[in-house]
Amino acid sequence: MKELSRAQIRDLMGEVLKNQGKALPSDDAADLREIGFRSLDFSELALRVEDATGEELNFDAPGLRRITTVGDVLDFLVELQRQ
Amino acid sequence: MSVETVPQAPVHPAGADNRVVVDGTPLTWRDLPELILPEPAAVLVHSARYALAAARHHAAHGTELLLSTASRVDAAMRDDLRDTGFVVTELGAQTTGEAVTTGTRTAERGRLWLLTSGSTGRPKRVGHTLESLTTVRGQQPARTWLCPYAPGTYAWWQVVTLSLTQPGQHLVVVEPDQLDDWPALAAEHGVDAASGTPTFWRRALHRDPDGLARVPLRQLTLGGEPVDQTILDRLREVFPAARISWIYASSEVGAAIVVHDGQAGFPADWLDREVAGRPTIGVRDGELVITSPYHGAGLDGPVRTGDRAQLVGDRVLITGRLDADEINVGGSKVSAGLVRDVLTAHPQVAWARVTGRRAPLLGHMVVAEVVPTGGVADPRPVPAEAMVDEATLVRWCADQLPEYAVPRRIRVLTEIPVKETLKSDV
Repeated sequence: MKELSRAQIRDLMGEVLKNQGKALPSDDAADLREIGFRSLDFSELALRVEDATGEELNFDAPGLRRITTVGDVLDFLVELQRQ
Repeated sequence: MSVETVPQAPVHPAGADNRVVVDGTPLTWRDLPELILPEPAAVLVHSARYALAAARHHAAHGTELLLSTASRVDAAMRDDLRDTGFVVTELGAQTTGEAVTTGTRTAERGRLWLLTSGSTGRPKRVGHTLESLTTVRGQQPARTWLCPYAPGTYAWWQVVTLSLTQPGQHLVVVEPDQLDDWPALAAEHGVDAASGTPTFWRRALHRDPDGLARVPLRQLTLGGEPVDQTILDRLREVFPAARISWIYASSEVGAAIVVHDGQAGFPADWLDREVAGRPTIGVRDGELVITSPYHGAGLDGPVRTGDRAQLVGDRVLITGRLDADEINVGGSKVSAGLVRDVLTAHPQVAWARVTGRRAPLLGHMVVAEVVPTGGVADPRPVPAEAMVDEATLVRWCADQLPEYAVPRRIRVLTEIPVKETLKSDV
């Protein structure tokens, strides 16, 4: 299975925000609410990861509640690809 | 049975002397092969010539007939047809068919069977007669009609019955392998009236707009799929003086809605209006419901069409199939048809398809496929700054749609996909 690196997922996250007219800060600690990264954006990012890897992701919904920063998103998706 | 031919039948329908162009060759209905068919016959054709011959045979003899292209009828459906008493016969290929000449039941004289498009599963049989399929009556201006539809479909019968029953209504048949270049064929044979799906028209505009403009069309008809304002407007630009109509018709309810004013949808004051001899149109729980005098056998009374209808201003828009049109994005309902209309209204989009895709958190997200304008016949390179991209289209949609309805993944295709039915989605 093809797996995306954290940096590659970060690039995809930047594309999602760019399409919304927003910018992805370089700081992984940036708060998602402050940069306007919402559930629609998160879902789009997941689809982009699926498209890039050709694999469907299996989400653990309870885990999503712990995601509040850019770094949380990247860590979660990196981890999810390995499940 | 093997296919046999006999001398010309003595009885001919009123349109027998109309011109019929098949494989590019001008004939008349009289010149088509005269067939001997078993009864009841399920005739599966490999060419338009034999489809027309079977239609004329029915008009002359009243033979109970189900007509379809061979490709639409799989082995299981052939078995079903045999089980219900049909003799399955293939025409127009190097096949010898069945070694029986009569079915296992008494034929129903005058009965014609259509197969539904199968958009909600396997095609179903719907019973009609030549009379119930002949919805254009009265004196019509002489026309040469293009017939691009697959033989045996409701739309095919609409054009065929017109030519069979009315002198002066000629036909130019488009075989599947001629579909990409039909404007040249149509221009050569003086086609001045054509009926097709919106996908059929979009492909023609996309592939070769100059070639399309050379066809001397005075009547353009759209049907079989949702008809949006953009495609009507684009055809109007090419054919400013022609009558452009759209029609809502199906095997089940017949031709039920015909609109000539160049606008998408139909006037809301047509709803629930009862006029003798005409269909009554209603909307119940967002679904188009039709009571039609042109219905198929056993389908009298209100028929739930499965199509979604929405009141927008003073028009009722038919946006697509109910089971496919509604996308639930995190509890918010999105009409795929309305999103598609927004995309196709972009000046650089020739065609779009909108669907729901499974997504985390929200259940589904709206995604799309588009074909940019710039016909495939146009060899000029498109400047990079004029290329439409995903971000541009996302912004275009975001300006006009709620956030949850904006397609987030938009795939760019190079060619408009089309099925045998001339539709994109079925």
